Amino acid sequence: MLSLAVEAMANQEKILIARQEVQSALNEELTELPRRNSNKINEGIRNIGLRVASILTLILIWWLLSLFFPPTLIPKPSETFTEVATIVSTGNFFSEMGSTLRRVGVGFGIAMIVSIPLGILMGTLRSFESFFEPPVILGLTMPGLIWAVLMIMFFGLNETSAYAAVAITIMPMLAISTWQGTKSIDKDLIDMSKAFHASPWSKVVDVILPQLISHILAAIRYGLGLAWKVVVVVEMFGLSNGVGYQVVRGFNIFSMKAVLAWAISFLVVMIIIEFGMIGWLEKAVTKWRPRAEAWRR
Amino acid sequence: MAYVRVDGAVKFFDREDGTDMLVLEKVSFDAQENGITCLVGPSGCGKSTLLNAVSGLETLDQGHVEIVSNQSDAAHLPRIGYVFQDPRLLNWKRVEGNLIFALKGMRIPEEQWQERIQKYLNLVNLLEFRKQYPLYLSGGMRQRVGLARALVIEPEVLLMDEPYSKLDQLTARKLREDTLSICTRLKQTAVLVTHDVEEAAYMGDRIVILSARPAHVTEVVDNPFQPVARDLDDLRFIEFKKKLLKSVLRSMQ
Repeated sequence: MLSLAVEAMANQEKILIARQEVQSALNEELTELPRRNSNKINEGIRNIGLRVASILTLILIWWLLSLFFPPTLIPKPSETFTEVATIVSTGNFFSEMGSTLRRVGVGFGIAMIVSIPLGILMGTLRSFESFFEPPVILGLTMPGLIWAVLMIMFFGLNETSAYAAVAITIMPMLAISTWQGTKSIDKDLIDMSKAFHASPWSKVVDVILPQLISHILAAIRYGLGLAWKVVVVVEMFGLSNGVGYQVVRGFNIFSMKAVLAWAISFLVVMIIIEFGMIGWLEKAVTKWRPRAEAWRR
Repeated sequence: MAYVRVDGAVKFFDREDGTDMLVLEKVSFDAQENGITCLVGPSGCGKSTLLNAVSGLETLDQGHVEIVSNQSDAAHLPRIGYVFQDPRLLNWKRVEGNLIFALKGMRIPEEQWQERIQKYLNLVNLLEFRKQYPLYLSGGMRQRVGLARALVIEPEVLLMDEPYSKLDQLTARKLREDTLSICTRLKQTAVLVTHDVEEAAYMGDRIVILSARPAHVTEVVDNPFQPVARDLDDLRFIEFKKKLLKSVLRSMQ
């Protein structure tokens, strides 16, 4: 019965299509081809426009304020941007920024090597969870500034204290994200991997880690925010180069222009890293997921 | 090829309150070589547990499962292909990547991968989608990937756990036809779990009827129709289906 019905349906469809073809051939001159309403591009332009407008508004407020205060307190935006240009053109900027980035990078690397495996173990083994939960929670509540001071006192005025301060500040947060992510992974897929005798390595790399990626990326985003703060503090306290050191130097000669110029160039680099690199990384590792944002306006 | 012998399978589960619940009560059956054996019974009777016991995912409290294979290599793992109710694909891997995951797990030599992927994706009509990610495919196509993943390891036994129950009627029907013809062509030994009597009559060369929980075998019916002769609209086939339904209903009491 059903197969007959299906066949009948298929036949009817064929007739319909044939009819439509004849019709469309007749009306070719009169009717337009179906066309998709394409406001996608407009939407993209609108979003970029809003972001640019937001930044311009901030600069406008700054400029208005600078009219009412002496330049030692609030320098004009134009003067500050000239200072930024000087820092960048003398090459000073790249070496100082490089030192800061290296400290954040190394500290981050150490934290990831320690925290991701720890988080996975905490998510899989109850004993690890019970044992490591208290230190991780305690570590999370400790302010980064205190870690910075502790590390400088312990390691002295050198690179190690910067690496250690960055690493130890973000470790707890990274561990918590990985741990919670591991707990929420799909048990059915683990069963599936058992059914196909996947090796322990393959289970981690092919089944578990891909499910943790979005948790880890969120942790990296948040961790970077913490790391910038901590590294600048360490540089202010105890090192002789880096963005933090330059800011303190500007403070010592009481040059608001210099402090702001370093702060702004630092911000620009951070934005490039956070939105550019991490955004790109996120897209690259989630390209298997169809985007469905239909509910957003 | 191989056949499966389940002998006196007993399995208890833990209830919420800590007491034991008997799920399988001495279940015995044979799944014959080169054919599909359907385990049919009411929902929640322990069919899936039984299938997991055959695959080794679950251990039995009593009784045993034997997979008798003519491959004399004593050391080798019995190769079992599993098709789940949900496709259970690795959505972050392309279709071919999902097949490679199974090939790698079963230690199939790498030089055979490409040829096998080609063959089995072609068999389930998905060759052109080998580079696609699963979430861009329809539900029926994903289930086909699941079938290809189970077949690509050239399993001695293919286990299927209600693989059509979450598909719409037309898709399920087409996929049943295709699976039956593929299994017949490959002379595949297979065990299919279902609660759908029509599906059991259509797919099963042998139909094992299980009671409500605790499950035991109430009847074993050999399908009088050859796979090619199973026509859902044929009156005699409908008669057979009705008879089977009566037996299943009887087993639920």
